[in-house]
Amino acid sequence: MKKFWALFFFFWPAVAFWSCWIARSRGWWFPASEDNPLGLAMSPLGQQIDGLFYLILGIVAVVFVGTQFALGYALWMSATKEDSKPAHYSHGSHSLELIWTIVPAFVLVFIALYQMNVWAEFRVQSYFPNETKEDGPKLEVTARQFEWRMRYPAPGQVLSNQPQAGDLYAVNEMHVQTGRPVKFNLRTGDVQHAFFAPQLRVKQDAVAGLIIPVWLEVPKAGKYDLVCAELCGWGHYKMRATIVAEPKEKVEEYLRNLEQEQNFDGVAPAAAEE
Amino acid sequence: MLVQTQRQIATLLTAVVVTAMSGCGQSGFDSHFVSSDKTESLIKEAQNGVGDLPGVNELVSDRFGTPQQLNAWMKLPVDFGGVSGSVSAAPEASIAVEELSLKFDGEVIQVDSEPLLVQFVTGAAAPAVVEIKRWSAEKGVASLTAAMETLPAEGDTVILNGGSHLKTGRQLYMRHCSHCHGTSGDAAGPTAEYLNPRPRDYRHGVFKFTSTNAQSKAARDDIRRVLQNGVPGTYMPSFVPMLKDNELDIVVEYVRFLALRGEFERRLVSELAPDYSKDAMANRMASGETRSEVVNDLKEFLAEDLQDSIEGFMDGTNGLATVWTNANLPEATITPDAARVPNSAESRRIGRELYLSKAINCADCHGIGGKGNGPQTTIFEKNVVTETLYPEPGLHDVWDNVNQPRNLTLGIYRGGRRPIDLFCRIQAGIKGTRMPSFKNLKHEDIWHIVNYVLSIPFEPEPGKGPTPAPAAATTP
Repeated sequence: MKKFWALFFFFWPAVAFWSCWIARSRGWWFPASEDNPLGLAMSPLGQQIDGLFYLILGIVAVVFVGTQFALGYALWMSATKEDSKPAHYSHGSHSLELIWTIVPAFVLVFIALYQMNVWAEFRVQSYFPNETKEDGPKLEVTARQFEWRMRYPAPGQVLSNQPQAGDLYAVNEMHVQTGRPVKFNLRTGDVQHAFFAPQLRVKQDAVAGLIIPVWLEVPKAGKYDLVCAELCGWGHYKMRATIVAEPKEKVEEYLRNLEQEQNFDGVAPAAAEE
Repeated sequence: MLVQTQRQIATLLTAVVVTAMSGCGQSGFDSHFVSSDKTESLIKEAQNGVGDLPGVNELVSDRFGTPQQLNAWMKLPVDFGGVSGSVSAAPEASIAVEELSLKFDGEVIQVDSEPLLVQFVTGAAAPAVVEIKRWSAEKGVASLTAAMETLPAEGDTVILNGGSHLKTGRQLYMRHCSHCHGTSGDAAGPTAEYLNPRPRDYRHGVFKFTSTNAQSKAARDDIRRVLQNGVPGTYMPSFVPMLKDNELDIVVEYVRFLALRGEFERRLVSELAPDYSKDAMANRMASGETRSEVVNDLKEFLAEDLQDSIEGFMDGTNGLATVWTNANLPEATITPDAARVPNSAESRRIGRELYLSKAINCADCHGIGGKGNGPQTTIFEKNVVTETLYPEPGLHDVWDNVNQPRNLTLGIYRGGRRPIDLFCRIQAGIKGTRMPSFKNLKHEDIWHIVNYVLSIPFEPEPGKGPTPAPAAATTP
């Protein structure tokens, strides 16, 4: 029975390693696709976020395996060795307390300082890429039970927080330009939702009463998922949308078509045939 | 002590593993089509039948089935799915055949998990169903899993996997729609009671936002557009990209199936209600008839007249089958006879005049400023069916819900924001609600009103400039 507990503590780091090892092939890792089999982040900022993730994963792995191994080792030794020496209690050891307070504190301070740039670039408006400051928000995304509604300004106009007469509306489809940071305003029409683009590693809560600026950059044209990452009600799973990244001309063409569609008066096609 | 703890842990672990492996999915949950309140207002015999004669419940379930065993009643104008085809060469007689030459109008796709079932629709072999073991597309020859006893002739029509739309449609509907719209399409799903406005009850066969004229049903495209765009201002979300294109079509067919089921039931009840409702029974007994006399009467009606009544309301120019088909014809679609009038200040001014005019009087419901607060919104309406006053003030729809006129200052348009959408709302009205059809209005005038209505959120009075932004938005 003594050996059981030693084996028990050796067992869990092994399980952790095994599950990390098979995670990618089982689809438990980052979302992968045929053109992106490794599930790499599809945005530059996302790659930096992944870098932080792997760094923290590494630190945690070393600490977890180390402590579990030490625990298992201590149990195994005392279970197998007959020792007549009286037990030695280390409780209250000043130097030990200092070591295991200073070392984790050092690690945490290091992580806090190291991630600051990425955090600021992602969340602090004054550190947003310059392009987003020049362009202003390109569209407004309103989360709603249970869909995403997009509002674009009329071509050539600037997005205003109040709906304007020429605004263009779409649902569950967000078109952004490739290769340039794109800023948009995020709001919610009812409860709290979260804008989550897993392949781009963008996640931001939408909070009632707030207009939250968010930016993303997609170098590669394609379709990316947009889902809700905040349990918002019984239809939470229905909040699935598509982010379409495409060159600037394509986005403009999309908006022109949207404008035409939105102004459709039921007789236009006949006029076009003449 | 330790041994005991270990045993307890082991028991607990086993329980967790067993639960995880068996899951909660196989608990034998069955869904049901429920009969409507109208059906329940009939006497028991009319609901459940007398002797061998079926009542409303059986007449409906014979034709439409149950959620587990749906029936494809061929009289319905519903695309039940499947690939039609015919026997291309008669098999040699007097031998029980295991191979059959067939010709299909569409592609035969064989999926490992799904059997390929062929049903004979015409000929001596009908209505036999055979399963195809292997299909050779080049030769057009199907190897069957079992030999056929009755042989088909050349040219007999067959259908491959008939009813596949019903089957898939039901699965999609139960997963995504039924929690609000209910298994029977009766808007009584578990989440429905938390919603305002209430989800649609299909059983009236009425859909509010259509592109068809006032007296027509909803076209397939109208239901599809709602699935694609959702209904802004309500809880109906968009189902794209969650449902694929073909899945949307299948859900549309299933919703039409449920609507037709509900409407069929309603029509049946209205045939029986005048003489065989619980109220009618009470009246008839008060005037001296005995219960068994009424039941005998009912027996006679069910045996002799009902079949004619069913044919009467299903077929013919105004029959259910016809009207649901015709809604998809181009004649039923509203097409303005002129393009939209340019959206000028002058047009919006004319629109406002028409909006306020005595003859059209939009303001009576929608209010002078378009806030949806016209005088009609405070009256107590009479329920046209029961002829009693509704307990709460306001305008009611055919589903007996309060359905106040739209606040036009919000810029939220449930039936869509395209000019044609607003044109249809005015020209054909909003079906099932108090928004009437203005079909006699000149199309040009409708366009003026559309231009005005679209400008209300931005410009309270045409030519007076934009609405001042709310103070809260300007303060930092």
